[in-house]
Amino acid sequence: MIRSGQQVSNHQEFNLALLLWLGEALFACSLLVVIGCEPREQSREPQIVTLWHQMTAAEREVLDDAVASYVEQHPGITVRTLYKETEELRSGFQAAALAGTGPDLIYGPSDAVGAFLPMGIIQNMRPYFTPNELAAFIHESLIFGPASEGQPRPLLQVGDRVGNHLALVINRDITKETPVDTDGLIRIAKENTSLGDSSNPQYGLVFNFVEPFFIIPFITGHGGWVFDESASELVPSLDTPEVIAGLSFVRDLQNKHGVLPANCDYEMADTLFKSGQAAMIINGDWSWGDYLNNPHIAAEVIPLPNVTATGKSMAPMVAPRGYSLNVNADSRQATAAMDLVRYLTSEEVQRKYMARLKTLPSRKALLAQAESSSDGTLQASAQQRKQGIAMPVDAELRGVWEAMRPHYQALLNGSVSPEEAAATMQSDAEQNIQRMNAELKPGPIVWVLQIIAFLLAVLFLWWQRDNFRAFFGDLRTNRFAYLLVAPAMAVLVLTIIYPFLYNIILSFSNMSLRRFRDWDVTGLQNYNEVFSEPIFFIVLLKTIIWTLVCVVFSVAIGLMLAAVLNGPVRGKFFYQLVLILPWAIPAYITALTWRGMFDYQYGAMNLIGNGILGLPMVNWLGEPNAAFIACIITNIWLGFPFMMVIALGGMQGIPRDLYEAARIDRVSRWGQFRHITMPMLKPVLVPAVTLGTIWTFNNLNVIWLVSAGGQPSDKTHILVSYVYKAVFNLYRYGYGAALSMVIFALLLTFSILFLKRTKAGDAVA
Amino acid sequence: MKEPKGITLLRHAVLILFSLFAIYPALNVLSISLRPGDRLRSTDLSIIPEDWSVDSYISLFTEQPFLTWLGNSLLVSLLVTIFGVTLASIGGYAFSRFRFVGRGAGMATLLTTQMFPATMLMLPLYVMIARLHLVDTFLGLMLFYTATAMPFCLWQMKGFYDTIPVSLEEAARIDGCSRWQSFVRVTLPLAVPGLVITALFSFMTAWSEYLVAAQVLQTSENFTLPLGLKSFQETMSTQWGLYAAGAILVSLPVVILFMVLSRYLVSGMTLGAVKE
Repeated sequence: MIRSGQQVSNHQEFNLALLLWLGEALFACSLLVVIGCEPREQSREPQIVTLWHQMTAAEREVLDDAVASYVEQHPGITVRTLYKETEELRSGFQAAALAGTGPDLIYGPSDAVGAFLPMGIIQNMRPYFTPNELAAFIHESLIFGPASEGQPRPLLQVGDRVGNHLALVINRDITKETPVDTDGLIRIAKENTSLGDSSNPQYGLVFNFVEPFFIIPFITGHGGWVFDESASELVPSLDTPEVIAGLSFVRDLQNKHGVLPANCDYEMADTLFKSGQAAMIINGDWSWGDYLNNPHIAAEVIPLPNVTATGKSMAPMVAPRGYSLNVNADSRQATAAMDLVRYLTSEEVQRKYMARLKTLPSRKALLAQAESSSDGTLQASAQQRKQGIAMPVDAELRGVWEAMRPHYQALLNGSVSPEEAAATMQSDAEQNIQRMNAELKPGPIVWVLQIIAFLLAVLFLWWQRDNFRAFFGDLRTNRFAYLLVAPAMAVLVLTIIYPFLYNIILSFSNMSLRRFRDWDVTGLQNYNEVFSEPIFFIVLLKTIIWTLVCVVFSVAIGLMLAAVLNGPVRGKFFYQLVLILPWAIPAYITALTWRGMFDYQYGAMNLIGNGILGLPMVNWLGEPNAAFIACIITNIWLGFPFMMVIALGGMQGIPRDLYEAARIDRVSRWGQFRHITMPMLKPVLVPAVTLGTIWTFNNLNVIWLVSAGGQPSDKTHILVSYVYKAVFNLYRYGYGAALSMVIFALLLTFSILFLKRTKAGDAVA
Repeated sequence: MKEPKGITLLRHAVLILFSLFAIYPALNVLSISLRPGDRLRSTDLSIIPEDWSVDSYISLFTEQPFLTWLGNSLLVSLLVTIFGVTLASIGGYAFSRFRFVGRGAGMATLLTTQMFPATMLMLPLYVMIARLHLVDTFLGLMLFYTATAMPFCLWQMKGFYDTIPVSLEEAARIDGCSRWQSFVRVTLPLAVPGLVITALFSFMTAWSEYLVAAQVLQTSENFTLPLGLKSFQETMSTQWGLYAAGAILVSLPVVILFMVLSRYLVSGMTLGAVKE
């Protein structure tokens, strides 16, 4: 070994690590300041208008045609459109707008506006339209913000269609009957349910049974609504007899009447209906075109029936979709963008959407045409819209959905009664709304904190002065080594340290829905909240179980396979190749495949387990513990090849003569493994296990994709997925940042302890 | 030495069982890609459905900009590989051969970068990339991917250099090589298996990432393959056929890479093992 410089102990090394971070952070910040000062280039011609939207593939065709003809008429303008999935559009736009960039226009459902407004990332479009222009739209397709003194209410979204509403679609190949009330619906559904042939079952009625949006018509049909309409503020009204009646009705559809398959989610309902295995489906206007054009079924759209018990019609939520303007668009960009919107919401374009996709237009004149149209689908859709209730655009609605989903799912798998579900939905919704709207005020502790932070930094520097001196001395003697390391470290600093520091500051701040662009450092409130919520400790426990089980099994399977492969085996190359597949295929693909395999009726796990091996059916995705195990199985599958390769590499480095000596001493195979292989593998395995633990602990992908974001009932969360949900669904950025700092601290402590215990520190450091 | 029959049988039994476990989900994707009409679910257990068709594959090449995405992904991944291997091979060498102040701290820092939940870094990362004017550029993406892969790559290379005797370099230096020359001419050629693993890991990091790509890339002409695939996923009407067909095609190059490199995979993977 070429040794030079000062040897420092392990303990000091970790202090130095911190120091290195600090230094690198300073460097990164100064770099950013320098670059940030550069004047931004502004090319004047040609003008580019960007639009992010979430239109489906079929809608995109109409949009592309419309944009093409617009650009043809406006030679100086280029229009760039970009498709993003609804949730990605929302979070992507939020990040972009926060950074002062982003598209000029965003197109999406009206409820997104409810969040964009308090975040302050969209601007008033009223100045760009004349009152006459606006008067041509039906009122619910224009979304206005609250009035401020002396100013007219700001225009936040211009809709080009209304709808997004649910209706009933019947496969006329299966039944000719049309239900007028829910008794009829149940009767027809029962008559058309035949489960005799298990390979080709037929269901009477399917819909996305696990998502609360789809049960709103049952709640409204029983006279309930998600918000208290008599209150002046937005107060959830979920714990009412009407909502309970609606919930009971839905639960009975499966439990009592048995017309739905177990755990019917969107994909299952859709697949069953498309393949002619379901007589009726409740689905939204986005899906109808697909059904009507499907040659294997004879679909007809009709309005939802009345509820027999109340005589009321089942009212779905109705929402416009439309265009909003980025707050960062300057007046020149905004003018161009608004001109484009004027065209994209014109009669000419709306007519195209209506003709091709049967969407309801937002212009009064066109909508009247749709209502009197000879087209059955348009007519039914228009009628259903009239029966519908406008979806509230307020951000609070998200708090309601988040509260409804877990308890609704618990109701479906029979663990709570409708009364209990309604009561917990209500209290959770109130809590969510309060948390979402909470605005932390800077506490008196802020300046104390600042002083403490400053003192700590000074103390740290003083305490570490010897190491500093050694470092600067060594800089000269070991220049070659520092030169070699510098480029790699610079890349790391540039991309990881800055976001990390930003996150530390966020964790002390009040960044949230109402303080998105103008957040302040407020103190320790977020940390206090993390530790005061009992759910944190429950989720932490689950995370530990998750990590432990996943790592132990991955390592055990990996070791076993490596031991097997490390002997004389024919076809070793082939086996090795197949066994590496889970590692080679991108995880975001296989995680979704595994979700499919865990499906109750259609998943391979039950088809093989029950159909071939005769094991009992397991409700993998509908029952909390089973769903958690499903995630674990998937993660073990993803993780064992890595461990296998590491172990195999280590085993091949063990000298053969050790085993020969053991054989001469008549040591058993197990004894050889225990006393030769394991100790010799330790230096390789300890870092692998450490890394594996860290990766597993923070593995969001598997949980998110396999359990569809924590389903059922938010019972499969580990810490990272819990953070993700808090941040992206309830906009609690400060809280999320604090929780991720806690995760970081936990892992840091674990690594130090683990590496010390295994005395393998030098393998790492 | 010949093994008893029972043990050989046992070996094959274990291997076959786990091979099935490993390959089945992959075959499942293949089966979805051959199923017409975007049906994700089916009670049919057979891999090749009765009404199979390759329409999804044809559509990928004729109606979708699949080749553009492929080109972008190749470009980004190859550049990240070159970047990553270069930086890790010289940085790892320093970590292995020199005892400079902050060496242990540096290695520990590398480990700590893995401990922070990456999704929480998305928002600040975007803010930073926007300030650097790297939004919608491959450079911004490549910087991040190189940094993501770097800790593992450095560890890996450091571990591999540790297995190469220092005496070889010392001999070269006695013969008049400079430090740099002895590294490039003597040690580096011996480190090829380690470099191969580092390259594979860098490539995979860039090849299959989509969260950061979704934030950074903002025009569809710039999409990488995972982003392209994601665009078939819609909130309530995913084009499963296209998605699965694309998934198969995305996985193929990586599987082939693993196949070609499998010789190195086992001998090159050291991950910080100390064999002094």
